[in-house]
Formats: sequence, structure tokens, C-alpha cells
Amino acid sequence: MQEYLEFIDEILYDQAAIEKRVRELGEQISKDYAGQDLLVVCLLRGGITFSADLTRFISISHELDCMSLSSYGVGHYASSGNVRVNLDLMTNIEGRHVLLVEDIVDSGRTLAHVLMMLKTRDPQSVKVCVLLDKKMRREVPVYADYVGFDVPDKYIFGYGIDIDEHFRHLPFIATADLSKYKKPAD
Amino acid sequence: MQDYNDILAEVLIDENTLQNRVRELAEEINRDYAGEEILLICILRGALPFLVDLMRHVRVPNAIDCMAVSSYGEGARESTGNVRMTLDLKTNIEGRHVILVEDIVDSGRTIAHVLEMLHTRNPKSLKVCALLDKESRREIQVPIDYRGFSIANKFVFGYGLDLDEYYRNLRFVGVVDLERYQGSN
Repeated sequence: MQEYLEFIDEILYDQAAIEKRVRELGEQISKDYAGQDLLVVCLLRGGITFSADLTRFISISHELDCMSLSSYGVGHYASSGNVRVNLDLMTNIEGRHVLLVEDIVDSGRTLAHVLMMLKTRDPQSVKVCVLLDKKMRREVPVYADYVGFDVPDKYIFGYGIDIDEHFRHLPFIATADLSKYKKPAD
Repeated sequence: MQDYNDILAEVLIDENTLQNRVRELAEEINRDYAGEEILLICILRGALPFLVDLMRHVRVPNAIDCMAVSSYGEGARESTGNVRMTLDLKTNIEGRHVILVEDIVDSGRTIAHVLEMLHTRNPKSLKVCALLDKESRREIQVPIDYRGFSIANKFVFGYGLDLDEYYRNLRFVGVVDLERYQGSN
């Protein structure tokens, strides 16, 4: 396994900057849903770090559930857009306020499909909170209600986001120089 | 939903104590697996904050995966002990060093079944890292290789542990005052 120092391009957001922004989002969400009953949905696996930290800054009582999705056809996320549910919600969202928490949105296809699917279950509301928004990659008109940071169209890792399943644990968000990155042999 | 302050009997483990211990566990893992690569498995949903805090201190090369299990027969976890995997691993664990990350070990039945099941896939090693250990409730022997805290048989919540699905986000582990808790409905 390569050390990330060998291929890191730059740190976009360090631990302190992330924590500050996550706190702001948590406070905003607490304000917006004051007096309401909220269900936070963590999209696995990229969203786990963000949702664990975000929910700690949400001061209103809320539930946490998880969902795991993949696309049909490996590596064809962008082309098909149809989404397969590997782990569905335990919670019935009918009549509930739902907040989807995602690490990053780029084409928006996955997110658009999940939103469509969840709306068939008649929630009272569904909103989206993403840590990173790669707006220039958007292919479908879907937007997040809460955005941590707008990021450039670069290869990003850390804070829950992996490169070939590694480096999710890093406490910062960085860009990778793929010309220096060596794919691990399996 | 009640504010947690209304149902909190006592803070059992405060945020500082938790964070320090989580860091110590990660340091132990760093020492034990120096030169190796590990797979950390988060057992959903309770272990989520623990895993996220733990992995931030892990320095050996690592991958993260998630697993969700439920027991057959609602509320019958302790009687049957058989476990239904509702979300299986994406990772093939054959030949890998695996650490199961759990929020709490109670009767031990669920974790024992998960371990048995995962052993059939021939990992190189398989260990358990549990934040809380309610030893007095143990019904079946389970090896806990990394233990955060041994706790008494009290109804605890916070830091991943829920009370009717709420309060997982609290930064401490607290004891519920059941007389004041009104339930979710």
C-alpha cells in the first residue's frame, strides 16, 4: 500500500476547517428543524464520517438510519443511473422529515434516483446535506439543500472518501495527483 | 421526543474519557498490526461514531466496510441467537486481517454468530474491538481483543447506542432514567 504522501496534491480542507463547517451545518439544521421530528439517513460508506460528526452537532433529538446503494453495471454510475438498494432503511419514512447525508455529489444521478425512490414512500419532506459538491460535473438537475464545500473537478480523498477502498480514515480532505498514484495489486 | 436531559440519570463516560480511550485503542491496533494492512468492519448502526473516531487514529493501512445484522424473531435475539445478515460485506475477507468494531457486547450471542460466520471465509485473522463490555450479561464466551470500558448492567445510551432509535448522536455514554423516560410514542 502506497503512502498518501506520495500522491497527495494538496489538502483542500484540514481537520479544523472541516469541523468548523460541519458545526455550522449542524447548527443550521437544528434551527431549520426545531420542533420537528427528524430522521437522518447516512448513505454508506462514504457518508459515515460526515454523518457521525454532523449528527453530533445537531442538537434536536433525531433518529439515524443507514442506506447502502450501488449502481447496476459496475463502473457505469454515470451512464445508467439506476440504483440498486443493498441495504434499505429500517425506518418507515411515511410522514417523516428526512435528511439524506452524502459525502459528495457529482453527476447527481445516484442522488436523483434515491430521491425519486424515497418520495414514493410519502415522507413529509426530504432534504439533502452533502459535504462536498462538485457542481461542474452535474448531469441532472438535482441540488443539495445543505452544502459543506464546493469543490473543483479533481480526484478527492479522505474524511470518508476512498481511493480503491483506502484512505477513508484520513481526517482531512485532499486532492490526489493520479499520475503518482499506484493502484494496489489484489 | 424528549430532550436527553429529561431522561439522563447520570453520565457514565464523558466525552474526554471516551475520546482518550478510543485513541488508546487505536494506538494498540497500530502497534499490533505494524507492517500489516487491516480491514475495520463497522457493525451498523450502533458502532458508527466509535468506528469513525477510532479510524481517525489508525495509522496502519486500512479499509473500512460495514455490516448490518438482525436476529431472527423480533426481540428474540437472546433466545435463538441466529443472525440474519441484512447487509453483507463488500470486501472479500479471505486472507485479510479483520477487526470487527462493535459498540457493546452484552449476551455475546450476536457477535459470536457473526464471528463464526466470518471465520468460514478464511480471514488471516479476526479480532473484536468493542467499546463497551457488559460482562455480567454474558451468556456465551466471546473473545474481546480490544475493550474500551467494562460497564455495569445498566441501561445505557449515547455515542452510537440508541433509545428507541434516538440519541445515538450524544458525545457521551449515559444511563437512562427509566422512570422519566416516556418512550417513543
